[in-house]
Amino acid sequence: MAGELKVLTANLGMKGTTEIDAVMRRGAYEALIKAMTRMTPDQVLGEVKAANLKGRGGAGFPAGLKWSFLPKGKDKTRYLVCNADESEPGTFKDRLLIENDPHKVLEGIIIAGYATQSAGCFIYIRGEMPQGARVLQRAVNQAYDRHFLGKNILGSGLDFDIWVARGAGAYICGEETALMNSLEGKRGEPRIKPPFPAGYGVYGKPSNINNVETYANVPAIIEKGADWYNSIGSADTPGTRLFGVCGHVKNPGLFELPSTVTLRELIYGHAGGILGDRKLKAVIPGGSSVPVLRADQIDVTMDSAGLKAVGSMPGSGGVIVMNDSVCMVRALHNLMRFYAHESCGQCTPCREGTHWLELLSGAIERGEGREGDADKILSLSKNIMGRTICPLGDAAAMPAESFVRQFREEFEFHIREKRCLPETMRMTTIYSA
Amino acid sequence: MALILVDGKEIAVKQGETVLQACMREGIEIPYFCYHPSLSIVGQCRMCLVKVEGAPKLLTACTTTVPELPREKKLDGRYDMKVSVACDEAREAQRGIMEFLLANHPLDCPVCDQAGECRLQEYSYDYGAPRSEFVFEKLHAPKRVVLGPHIIYDAERCIKCTRCVRFCQEITKTSELSLVERGADTIVGTFEGGSLDNPYSVCTADLCPVGALTYREFRFRERVWFLQAHNSVCPECSRNCSVRVDSYKGEVLRIVPRYNPSVNGYYMCDHGRLITERMRGLETRELPSLIRDGKPSPMNEKDFYARLVALFSEKKYRPGDVAVILSGRMSLEEMAAYKRLSKELFGAVIGDVLLRSGESDDLLVRDEKRPNLEGARKLGLPVSGKDEAVSSLIGGKKALLIIREDPVGEAPQEERERLDTAIGSVETVVVMDDHLTATAARAHYFVPLAGWFEMEGTTVNFKGQLQKTTRCVAPPEGRKPFHDVTAEFLKAAGKEAPSGFREWFEEVKKEIPVLGLVKAGEIPLKGIPLPERKEKHG
Repeated sequence: MAGELKVLTANLGMKGTTEIDAVMRRGAYEALIKAMTRMTPDQVLGEVKAANLKGRGGAGFPAGLKWSFLPKGKDKTRYLVCNADESEPGTFKDRLLIENDPHKVLEGIIIAGYATQSAGCFIYIRGEMPQGARVLQRAVNQAYDRHFLGKNILGSGLDFDIWVARGAGAYICGEETALMNSLEGKRGEPRIKPPFPAGYGVYGKPSNINNVETYANVPAIIEKGADWYNSIGSADTPGTRLFGVCGHVKNPGLFELPSTVTLRELIYGHAGGILGDRKLKAVIPGGSSVPVLRADQIDVTMDSAGLKAVGSMPGSGGVIVMNDSVCMVRALHNLMRFYAHESCGQCTPCREGTHWLELLSGAIERGEGREGDADKILSLSKNIMGRTICPLGDAAAMPAESFVRQFREEFEFHIREKRCLPETMRMTTIYSA
Repeated sequence: MALILVDGKEIAVKQGETVLQACMREGIEIPYFCYHPSLSIVGQCRMCLVKVEGAPKLLTACTTTVPELPREKKLDGRYDMKVSVACDEAREAQRGIMEFLLANHPLDCPVCDQAGECRLQEYSYDYGAPRSEFVFEKLHAPKRVVLGPHIIYDAERCIKCTRCVRFCQEITKTSELSLVERGADTIVGTFEGGSLDNPYSVCTADLCPVGALTYREFRFRERVWFLQAHNSVCPECSRNCSVRVDSYKGEVLRIVPRYNPSVNGYYMCDHGRLITERMRGLETRELPSLIRDGKPSPMNEKDFYARLVALFSEKKYRPGDVAVILSGRMSLEEMAAYKRLSKELFGAVIGDVLLRSGESDDLLVRDEKRPNLEGARKLGLPVSGKDEAVSSLIGGKKALLIIREDPVGEAPQEERERLDTAIGSVETVVVMDDHLTATAARAHYFVPLAGWFEMEGTTVNFKGQLQKTTRCVAPPEGRKPFHDVTAEFLKAAGKEAPSGFREWFEEVKKEIPVLGLVKAGEIPLKGIPLPERKEKHG
């Protein structure tokens, strides 16, 4: 088993890493100084492009390419946005980065600001992370004191500010355009695209939005170069990735690994195997929104090619492990409650479809399922999939569709027998054999 | 200009136009709820999903524009896009959206005012599944929510298309409405303590594609399929909004704006729309009447006009002895008729059309509160200035004729006293109006006229657009348009006179030569723009 490779998480677990002096002794802001004093913005952009840094928010869009979509020219106000609204069930990587090493994130943002010659960055942090918001604001203040933020940073001519804004408790505000509406004080509803944020973003200005982890990757790329970055991980997702493993594992937590790691290594190696030494039943490999895998589908690498081969995707890197005590119907109902609760309600398929899926999965779970209900879940998913304004509809439809497809017999058993599979009866505690 | 192929039909798409707009223009139906040509495009209802060749998923026709492809990339060497509305995939999506929209919809069509003109109902028939597979208890949401003085909201019927929300944000710019709550609990609401109270609020009920927004003045009045529609013009200001008047059994039940890009666009103000509410219950008479001490006693028409003619020929009033107050509420035909009558009676055209002005806004409402002041100017009738007190027109006259105006009822207190004195000292006072006004109570002779929606006529709005209003409901026999009263009068005096709207319209044409070739029956629904007058009014 390959060991962890600590690039992003090098400072995690150390003392005092939220203080700028402490992290600067460990090399923080050196990449920023290198970029701003020895490189042109285009060189920085070129390096990030060459590194093929893939977005870590879930969609995996190349970050350098996204930056280059921002219109050039001095006269236009451009903004960066850092998406710290991490709310995907099973995902907790950004929170750990922010709370433990905020300067790594800020450094990446300021370098991106230099590369794109932007006016500033809004960090939109999930409302339920008050500690993270406090740590970030403190770190931002420290960066201002050191003149890594403000006017004419390091004599580069760049004026760059960072504003920390807190969300108010909506999963949908992690969607980039809903986030922008929320930032502007509007109802957190996704906008229709086009126009894309690169043309019409925050306050109508050209904007670039990346995930916390994406920005945190930037300093190491600048410091060590694109070639070094490409030497780690797989061709489609170079560099290290943060995998948060939760659920029925003995050693849950955050692991930084190249995406060439297999799902089996992640679960049985790094995460210490299945809780209660029971059988593995199912894994959701990239946050609750991606299709679920069965126990026999875990011998794949954690990059997009590997997971695509078994019909799933890397998503946000949150790995949810379920042992054989889990009733898949109940697990799906739990997820559907979440998506129905978080749907913003503006477009029909998501608003009505998630609600229906919640009711339908709940009915099956309670023993009120009717013949044909499993197929109804499939047809409802199909009616949502690809037909909504934003990906929340897909995010609800993908687990619904995959749960039924992968565990069809269990759904049919539930409908027929009006109860859970014997080993998943509710009385069975999940923590023991 | 791009060329697209929609299910085998070629359509040219203009720069910036969406697939939905192009298809609507060409009469190809794509179902939609949230799109409205005057509002921003939000793509929320997802009803207009269509298959676009080469796109990985279905696209909403309302948001899809067509970029022009370079020659070598054109599909089939010709098209910039190939679209299908009728393919199985698109049909399945349309059926899917209908299934979702109806899942929690109460299906209370039998008691819903929108039934019969409801998009949800129509599309359910055209695109929906024959039965619902939603077996759960429907979500309950607030009903009979009073959003404002006119609008009542039923959240269960609402499909959250946000047309009403966008109307208040983008058209009236008052932003009273917003979606509140989220997911399936989403409803339309006002901010706490707020109210949907703007001068155009009832337009939200027009915009609502379902029965979620209704207005007090019409809800539960009548099933819409019994209504008879008539094209007319709103008489409440010089905008002359094109309207459709819906009547049933001789009563006007509803007035809705009729799309007319050169007059009012899609909307009208609440004040104009609710005019019939204010007219309801006004006292009137079916026959001409003599008035003694404020009390009318009806007379047979023939005797009445004979008596009036005898009076005028006996008194031999000269133009200087007579004050005539005319109204911008008179149609062009009535004004032309008055000119003829005035020449016959007094040997000259005398009289003033009262200028009545009030508040205006930058949307539709104009400051001139009469529909046909511009028509009066076109016919050369003097429109009296803003500050001119009516009493000063009457002072020292022997005879007074007031047509379709109520100067006493509308006068401020001070002026009212002066008016009372002035009218009291006039020997002969004749008032003609569609109801018994405060002024009529002070007259000696009252002639009941047909009301605005009871007669045919033409008007000219502030921009010079000539429109025709039709007879939406029939008045009782004795109440006639003023031009027919004129005809009675002239007949009684033994003179020839045109009769009816069509013949009097020919008289109008003599004064507005540009109308030369227009026939009364062929005035287009959107009206006819008349050239500007040479001299500007102040």
